[in-house]
Amino acid sequence: MNIQFKKGVLEICVLSVLAKKDCYGYELVQEISKRIDISEGTIYPLLHRLKDEGLVTTFLQESAGGPPRKYYRLTENGRKEEHEKKEEWLQFAASVNALLEGTNDAAD
Amino acid sequence: MLQTEQEYIRILRSRLEGTLPDDELNDIISDYTEHFRIGKADGRTEEDLFSSLGSPEDVAREIRATHLVRKAEGDRSWKNIIHAVLATLGLGLFNLVFVLVPFVILVVLLFVVFFAGIACAVFGPVAGIFAVLQMAGLPAFAIWQSPAAGIFFSLGITTLGLLLVIGDYYLARFFYHIGIRYLKWNIGVITGTEQIP
Repeated sequence: MNIQFKKGVLEICVLSVLAKKDCYGYELVQEISKRIDISEGTIYPLLHRLKDEGLVTTFLQESAGGPPRKYYRLTENGRKEEHEKKEEWLQFAASVNALLEGTNDAAD
Repeated sequence: MLQTEQEYIRILRSRLEGTLPDDELNDIISDYTEHFRIGKADGRTEEDLFSSLGSPEDVAREIRATHLVRKAEGDRSWKNIIHAVLATLGLGLFNLVFVLVPFVILVVLLFVVFFAGIACAVFGPVAGIFAVLQMAGLPAFAIWQSPAAGIFFSLGITTLGLLLVIGDYYLARFFYHIGIRYLKWNIGVITGTEQIP
């Protein structure tokens, strides 16, 4: 898939993973990159933007056998945003799928 | 180039120093050092981690652009908006078309309206003074067929000039606001894969 499209949906992916559980950066990157082929480094600038916009906060938590890790967590606004973006995306994806399948049917 | 953690962090730091405040810079650097640390504990090599992170130059470009657009949003000035536009150009060659061209067109439009307004606001009163002097019977200033029409015309042109200048100010504010929103959207969608060398 064209990389230009991917970046646009990265934000909803990050919000969605964080809606399920708080994550440290590396963990979040792994969650996303195992499904989507992206430059992993671009997730951190996105996290910073989301933090600036007040959609996520960070906190430090001790890890077993190592220095504390920085965790990212959705704020109340972040949850709202995740909910809205998810609805938008699902509707959009359903419409595109309907169109694509409709076209295929006609071609057959 | 060696694909080591040290090199990654060095490039990131050198590209962001001077743009980002120290606390933000350290916050970003700490994310990447943590990424390398956990990745290595996970059994991955520095080269592997480096190449899956992607180019540190691209990361730095994006962070700079985001930061400078936010700065321009918080503190409206020509300098800040120009820095924000230039940083966004670095994200991809096509931003020459999608950012630079619209920006230049808008700036030219704003300047044309501004100078047209100034010209009217200067010409109007001068024409008015001529009309008054002509009324006073000075033949050297007799440029009007009717001095009364001259005064009327002068008031009209002066008002038009002032309205243009005031309108231009609000137009500039409007474009600034829309422009910032557009740049944010642009940064969120455009990747650094086709950057200017």
